[in-house]
Amino acid sequence: MKESMVRLGENLIAGQIEKVKGLTEEALKEGMSPNEILQEGMVPPMEELGERFSRGEAFLPELLLAAHAMRAAMEVLKPAIARRGIRQEATVIIGTVAGDIHDLGKNIVRMMLEGAAFRVVDVGVNVSAERFLEAYDQEKPDLVGLSSLLTTTMGEMEEVIQKVRRTYPAAKFIVGGAPIRQDFADKIGADGYAPDAPTAVKVAKRILGS
Amino acid sequence: MAEEAMGKERILDALELREPDTVPIFEMGINEASIVNLGRHFTDDVPPIKHITDMSLEEQLRYMDLLALVLHELGNDGISTVFIIRKERVAEDLVRDKYGTTYRLSNVGEPIAIDGPVQGPQDLEKIADMEPDPGDFAMLRYLIARMGKDVAHFFAIPGPFRFSWQLRGAMERLLLDYMIDPDLALSLARITTDFCKAAIEMAADAGADVVVLEGDLAFNTSTLMSPDQYCRFLKPHHTEIAEFAHRRGLKIVKHTDGKLWPILDDLLEAGFDGIHPIQPQCMDIKEVKTHLKGRAAVLGNIDCSFLLPFGMSEEVDRVVMETIKAAAPGGGYIISSSNSIHPGVKPENYIAMVKAARKYGKYPINL
Repeated sequence: MKESMVRLGENLIAGQIEKVKGLTEEALKEGMSPNEILQEGMVPPMEELGERFSRGEAFLPELLLAAHAMRAAMEVLKPAIARRGIRQEATVIIGTVAGDIHDLGKNIVRMMLEGAAFRVVDVGVNVSAERFLEAYDQEKPDLVGLSSLLTTTMGEMEEVIQKVRRTYPAAKFIVGGAPIRQDFADKIGADGYAPDAPTAVKVAKRILGS
Repeated sequence: MAEEAMGKERILDALELREPDTVPIFEMGINEASIVNLGRHFTDDVPPIKHITDMSLEEQLRYMDLLALVLHELGNDGISTVFIIRKERVAEDLVRDKYGTTYRLSNVGEPIAIDGPVQGPQDLEKIADMEPDPGDFAMLRYLIARMGKDVAHFFAIPGPFRFSWQLRGAMERLLLDYMIDPDLALSLARITTDFCKAAIEMAADAGADVVVLEGDLAFNTSTLMSPDQYCRFLKPHHTEIAEFAHRRGLKIVKHTDGKLWPILDDLLEAGFDGIHPIQPQCMDIKEVKTHLKGRAAVLGNIDCSFLLPFGMSEEVDRVVMETIKAAAPGGGYIISSSNSIHPGVKPENYIAMVKAARKYGKYPINL
């Protein structure tokens, strides 16, 4: 891997926003495509950080900081992406189901998916099955992520899955949240369950076969 | 035959790691709908279900009377009241408290802070003089007067972590402060710690027995912050608050969901008398009890994610028996749900839990 991409990754993980912006600009000037910068400089260190998080060696503040730096880098890449395009993994719609207003877990999953080069459409919190279907109509995503922190609202996940699949039988779903377990995910017909955000990225890739 | 101990005595015995006559029972939170649904088992005179923000003072008193009736009928040993910071509705689903934090309301869970008065260090002076009001303790005072002092009165206040992130308007902001603006995080911890101490002072004067320091520090698979961050940003403040509570003659319990192993020893060193609620999905209570032995009590562990909402009362009975067998011998165990009695919990199952606790909880434990 290029030395400049190694440095970009190191600064990304350290949350050195100004350095990340500078290194991203330099890489563009050197002629690298946004896709190369994303795939070589950002995705590998974010994956490594995710692995450390899942092993209990890294914690949320570090994930948030790296995600923050990655967003800054993506802002720098935006004009080049508009000109040259970018190859993204897939599109994921993500939201917290109706009745539930928690968003921390959903936001972390969104950041980690973005860090793995997914295009993520965040539809927010307290999202009804109808709204998920509308978003599906608009975005035709490859995957839908459903979050719920409460036992009282996790039943909504099944509502969403059934509602969307009545129109789009092949729609794929990943679910997560404090009360969710694999057996519950299986019971409601979800394609995958993840206990934490980095695992959500792995499960999303497995579901999509990428 | 020995005289039965009073609830307060049982709770304090357990927090002092002694064996009471029977495993004490308490519940940290029973929300509005659950109070009404449980109340229907004991009286026909129940109020309509309403969010506390929308209740008049008379309605709040009616709810507290019903809560007192439910706990009296069940025979709980401890009652938990909360610090009620006055909030005003600012939009259909939004309320703002007197310190400037805006919360989104939920029909089924707690309001969640979505915006706060501290956008950066320049705003710290806005909150530097925050003090609790006597009105914040109305629920505590009322229920002490209503239920008397034979039961233990737990009083829950947001600890420095939760209070700080509410003032920042989102937990993510405070966790990022740990990385990029530690001085701001420490200033917030200082201000909120002083606030907590003032609240404990007023709660002690009102007659509370146990302080519960709220604020989750963990999620299902790990802690929200690293052990180093806990030790830097929170542990000294938790220690200061625990010492203050003890000087005022109160016990202090740390409430936090999640898998606490990375910081459990630090929490014990901070001086908490008990750890609540030891979620069974996250930590094994027998392992925790063994680890805590001689240092702090364990509270909670009866699953309110699946068992109490969806289980059969026979399963509740069996789980309570197994939990008492694992956690109660030697003392230092107070039974409660693994978080709270939320609207999804079947009232029949909560009643079954309390009955089973009395059936199996007599010391010495021979199960």
